[in-house]
Amino acid sequence: MEELNVLLVDDEQEFVTTLAERLEIRNMNVSVAMDGETALGIVENESPQVIVLDVMMPGLNGLDVLERIKSIDPKIQVILLSGHGSTKDGIKGLKLGAFDFLIKPIDIDELIIKLNEGWKKYCESQ
Amino acid sequence: MNLLLNSMKDGKNTVKVNNNINELTFFGKITASMTHEIKNVLAIIQESSGLLEDILDMSESNEFTHKDRFISTLGRIQTQIQRGIDITSNLNSFAHSPDNALAKIDLNELVQNLSLLASRFARLKRVSLVTELSDTPLIVQANSVQLQMDIFSALEMLLQHIENGTIKMIPGKHEDQILLHLHYDLLTTDQFNIISTSDQWQNLTHCDWGRIKLTC
Repeated sequence: MEELNVLLVDDEQEFVTTLAERLEIRNMNVSVAMDGETALGIVENESPQVIVLDVMMPGLNGLDVLERIKSIDPKIQVILLSGHGSTKDGIKGLKLGAFDFLIKPIDIDELIIKLNEGWKKYCESQ
Repeated sequence: MNLLLNSMKDGKNTVKVNNNINELTFFGKITASMTHEIKNVLAIIQESSGLLEDILDMSESNEFTHKDRFISTLGRIQTQIQRGIDITSNLNSFAHSPDNALAKIDLNELVQNLSLLASRFARLKRVSLVTELSDTPLIVQANSVQLQMDIFSALEMLLQHIENGTIKMIPGKHEDQILLHLHYDLLTTDQFNIISTSDQWQNLTHCDWGRIKLTC
């Protein structure tokens, strides 16, 4: 069975690498990026199907990166991640084409559900 | 920065920093920013303890003698992470209070948030702080900082006179007026007379948004 390719983008290195390890235990292929520019490079070269993207990052912020990802490949499903409960970024993100919005810290089971839903949506849009 | 220090040393000139943010907004902005940092720390602890749990789950129970103890300890860590998240979220909302001088506020949300922020003050007097919220939103137009200060002052004053028991914070509506009802289960007539006639309490009963009512 094909494995899900996930890209995690967050400037908190410890967070992103630990989360990657947890997803790998669950048989997912995971790439990580600590900034928007690196993330866009991975999108061009590795074609992830679902991306978990932090909104607040130095340099390109999550919403900018989301727009660029969608222009590269609109099929890619993006789950936005934020450290605070404000729905403003979430609504903006959904308008820009994000698949969903989660608040940090995240529940791993909830994330797995969202990733699988995102993957399903990606496959359906093929 | 050098110019500022020299001027201060001379004492000749008054250096004014030209900015548009007042002290409250400044403290709020910095505090809100720090709550995001704390949330990041909590997120890393959460994922790290989650990873340990994943690794334990991968091992057979007979491979690791103390597996159950580790799992229960990790459960405690998760509980405390959730506690930290709740506290940080409340602190974040509180820090955003000065964002607007006048705002439409749901008294239910404000009371819920404030009850958590004030719970330590109550706990030091062995008093439990609980809420009984209204089913419908109770929208008041108010200065959020001032409103929270008023309610906190009322709680603080009540706490000065009591020990043990439970204060129930009940926001509600009575004859088109939105009010907050503080109910203390062990309140004596003497205590009620002292508190309800104090100057500070009298002021609180004339808040623009409604009033705070004390009962036993």
